[in-house]
Amino acid sequence: MSLILSRFGCLRLSLRALLAFMSLLILLTAMLSQPAHADEPSLAKEDLACQKCHDSAAIKPKITEAGESLSLHISTQAFLASRHSETSCTDCHENADGKDHGKVAVPMKSKRAYRLSYQDACTTCHKKNATDFKDSVHAHLVKAGSEKAPTCSDCHNAHTQINVKIVQPIANVPCANCHQEIFKAYSGDVHGLERVAKGKSAPLCADCHSAHKIQAASLGEGIKDNCFGCHKDAVAKHEIWLPNAGRHFQAISCPVCHAPDAQRRVNLRLVDSAGRKQIKEVLGVPQFERLAQAANTSGGSLNENELSSFLKEFNVEQSSGKAILSGRLEVRSGVQAHQLSVKEKALKDCRVCHQVGATPFQSVVLTMAGEDGRPLRHGVEKEVLNSLTAMGSMRGFYTIGSSRIKLLDYLLVLVLLGVLCVPIGHYTVHRMFKSKREQRLAERAQSASHAAKLGANDEHKV
Amino acid sequence: MQKIYIHPLPVRIWHWINAIGFLTLIATGIQVRYMDLFQLMSFRTAVVVHNYIGFVLIANYFLWFGFYLFTDKISVYLPEMNPKKYFEDAWRQIKFYGYGIFLGDENPHHPTIYHKFNPLQIMMYQIIMLLAVPIMFGSGLLLWDVKRFSAIVEFFGGVRVVDTVHVLMFIVFCGFLLMHLYLITLGPTRFAHIKAMLTGFEEKHGYSNNEP
Repeated sequence: MSLILSRFGCLRLSLRALLAFMSLLILLTAMLSQPAHADEPSLAKEDLACQKCHDSAAIKPKITEAGESLSLHISTQAFLASRHSETSCTDCHENADGKDHGKVAVPMKSKRAYRLSYQDACTTCHKKNATDFKDSVHAHLVKAGSEKAPTCSDCHNAHTQINVKIVQPIANVPCANCHQEIFKAYSGDVHGLERVAKGKSAPLCADCHSAHKIQAASLGEGIKDNCFGCHKDAVAKHEIWLPNAGRHFQAISCPVCHAPDAQRRVNLRLVDSAGRKQIKEVLGVPQFERLAQAANTSGGSLNENELSSFLKEFNVEQSSGKAILSGRLEVRSGVQAHQLSVKEKALKDCRVCHQVGATPFQSVVLTMAGEDGRPLRHGVEKEVLNSLTAMGSMRGFYTIGSSRIKLLDYLLVLVLLGVLCVPIGHYTVHRMFKSKREQRLAERAQSASHAAKLGANDEHKV
Repeated sequence: MQKIYIHPLPVRIWHWINAIGFLTLIATGIQVRYMDLFQLMSFRTAVVVHNYIGFVLIANYFLWFGFYLFTDKISVYLPEMNPKKYFEDAWRQIKFYGYGIFLGDENPHHPTIYHKFNPLQIMMYQIIMLLAVPIMFGSGLLLWDVKRFSAIVEFFGGVRVVDTVHVLMFIVFCGFLLMHLYLITLGPTRFAHIKAMLTGFEEKHGYSNNEP
């Protein structure tokens, strides 16, 4: 009987536990499902009014005065999924007049003009990015009136912009819109392939070039520093096998060796002799091309006299500090800079650079940063690299073997031949005097023996 | 035949390390500079060997410097302070090498351990050891790690200037070496000076009867 009672008691307990568990489950489900609805972004009342028309399939595109067609359709779903989901339409479109909007035609000059007019709307919130952009090569081009240079909305669609770090597939990166060839090269290089295979561990455009503070990659050292940002042990690893590794890092851009199929060249940068900073053309004072053309009397590339004359004139006009040339080896184009290979294929053969006739030294350019931040270039004759008279202007660039000064080679041969003449001449004269010398030696020996005899006789007499 | 001890052991050790070292530096230096003309070894090997030997010779230089600085043997490098006598002695030596030697005249200079160099040698070795060698080693050290010494390199006018000085010194040393190799055969016998640098003892002959 007691056994039956005890079994009944257990059953009662199990039923209670089951009921309690079921209740808890229902409660949790209710709790979890409730906030999902509460947090789901939704349009504000006034934005709903905007989207009533703008999310309608019937909305017609606007035709600009330039004849372009601008779609006015904005997907509510895409907008709510975007980073701007909590932003109200009027936060950016503050000029939209609630009464007349959509009823009275507002003229629009061009899509470009419309985008430019909205730069300030972004700046209101994205202050840091706006400051970074201000000094970028893109901003300078926009300011200079370029039709192609990107404004905020060329890269970021304000109505659909998701987290910028989510770039899948990589072709969605906005840089690819303009820099197609470079992006194509990147897609096939070691970084591009790894980005697709492994995701974010490999860099995409902005990881090296920054998103907004973009400078011309061939000016300054920014890109190299970015390489070291990920490849932190690069310097130490190079120092194991590469003599003068520090100097190599100073004077060679990474792709020179890590894009083995690229064409290379010598870039003679105009830098300030004190701070070693690349000299930039003063706004509104075009100097580089004018002086380069004035110096270039022979036409084509600058020879050593013309380069010297250019530097002289440049320094006369230069108000602050003396300009000198700082040489650097680099690849010839942005496309080639994005053809990086796996490290096993990187160049390690010193002969590629360190011998006369080495291909990277067949092309030489003089570079200065233009007022818009882009490099201004002028060809220089390759013979300048081997000239003694270019010592002053070229003092910051020297490569053993390939840029050796030819005059020193002639001097070496001359000295060796000259010095060889001395022993040969001396030895020849020595041989010519052999009989006379032997005769004198015999006479001396004879007189010595005679003196010895006399000495002996004297001793005998004594 | 009398034998005079003129080359102390530290000097002989220094000399032969220097001899082997400089020949290696010349060979590797030529390889580094003229990769397009000679390919005795890889560029990197040549650079690495050149650097190591360079440091060995810098240390060796201090062996020489220390020995002469802290012993009374420094007298071998001290020139005659009386200009008249100096020029007379030098002229006598020039006449010997330029004329007397052909007629079998006796070398006017009689070396001893405290006075082993003739006036011309004193002048030449002072220039070589106190000017050319330090410039050679100094420029070589700067070129060994251009970045580390960038401030000094810039002070001297840049890497191209420093390298040009290094190469000019290389040319000087090549010329010196050729002359040195010939002049050491002008002793009492063809190998007398070389033998002396090996044993320390120079044989003293009455007059020069050498046939180089």
